[in-house]
Amino acid sequence: MSEKEDIFEKAVESLRRQEVPPGPPREVIDATLAKLAEGRDAPAVADVGNSASLRLWPRAFVSFGRIAAAAVVLIAAGYVAGRWSAPRPPDVEQLRAAIEPVIRQNLLNETRQYVQSSLANGYLQVKEELSEQYRQDMGRVAIQTLAASNTITNDLLSRLLDSISTVQVTDRQRFAAALEQVESNRLRDRSQLSSAFATFAVRTEDELMRTKKDVAQVLSYTGLPSGRPDSATPHEFQNSDNPDERNKK
Amino acid sequence: MIDWQAIIKEHGPAVWQTAYRLLGNHTDAADCFQEAFVSALAVSRRQHVQNFSALLTRLATARAIDQLRRRFRRPDCDRDLDDSSAVEDEAPCPAEQAQQRELADRVRRLLDQLPAQEAQAFCLRYLNDMSYQQIAGALGISTNAAGVLLHRAKARLRELFELSAGQVERG
Repeated sequence: MSEKEDIFEKAVESLRRQEVPPGPPREVIDATLAKLAEGRDAPAVADVGNSASLRLWPRAFVSFGRIAAAAVVLIAAGYVAGRWSAPRPPDVEQLRAAIEPVIRQNLLNETRQYVQSSLANGYLQVKEELSEQYRQDMGRVAIQTLAASNTITNDLLSRLLDSISTVQVTDRQRFAAALEQVESNRLRDRSQLSSAFATFAVRTEDELMRTKKDVAQVLSYTGLPSGRPDSATPHEFQNSDNPDERNKK
Repeated sequence: MIDWQAIIKEHGPAVWQTAYRLLGNHTDAADCFQEAFVSALAVSRRQHVQNFSALLTRLATARAIDQLRRRFRRPDCDRDLDDSSAVEDEAPCPAEQAQQRELADRVRRLLDQLPAQEAQAFCLRYLNDMSYQQIAGALGISTNAAGVLLHRAKARLRELFELSAGQVERG
């Protein structure tokens, strides 16, 4: 604040201390004197008016009185003319009868327009509210339906997975049982086949021995030299009566 | 019979200084000078003038303020009419000279916004160093009224100056 005041004081001081060239110049003085001379020579309007008014004040008073009288006459004439030409006061009933239907009609029209506009606005508002509520309900129902369908689908899927796993377990068990059965059958068949082969071999050997004996008897009956050494008999035809030896062979 | 040549010779420099200081250029100061003396002639016809110095100073101030109003209300008022650069100044540097011219011009512009009587009282007091009694005599008012007028003028001028300074800072 003090700084602003200082600036203000400084501004005033600058204006006060502003350097002024020496003057007035000669031409300005001459022009001023010329103007003053013109002004001196010109009639003083105010002075002339004052002296005239001093000399002629009774005539001026008479003129003023005449003007005032004329003004009064004019005002009176205007008043009378105004009274004569003034319109009569209107008939209120007639005016009311003339205006009332129009006012009623206008009021009715305005009321109708107001009600129509209000109804239109209300209709639009209700329509918007219902649309909004419908959208909200639809959204809520869609969300609920989606959630329920998801739950049911998950339940069905879990059941399907359970049944599939159960069936797979059953199938595996059956397959394992079948494999065990096949293996046991195979082992049994193998043992039976080996015993059958052994029996067949024993019987075949016995039959060969008996055939050999029969061949030897037949040869003895037919007279073939007996000095033929027994060593000539094929070795493979020699058979032991001992079953253990036969088994070893 | 008034000897106007003698009056101009005696009081002309003071009138010229008053006009030039307020208007800041030769042409306007010359016009103001002539108008002041023509107005003094008109006054001298209506009444007897005892103190031509005060009358001429007041008239020069009033005419100068009128010219300022006309100048700043013209569309081309932004034109710089100040030819005080032609005057040899005692300021130490051109920047300070420019600042002082700017401040003086701002005060001139703000004087335009004061009421005429307040502006006259302010100029008579702070530019012409007239006393309260002299101002009261020149303006035809009481001394107390002159004091009130000066107080109002200075307060309003300061307020306008701060406002204009704020606008300059913002702008």
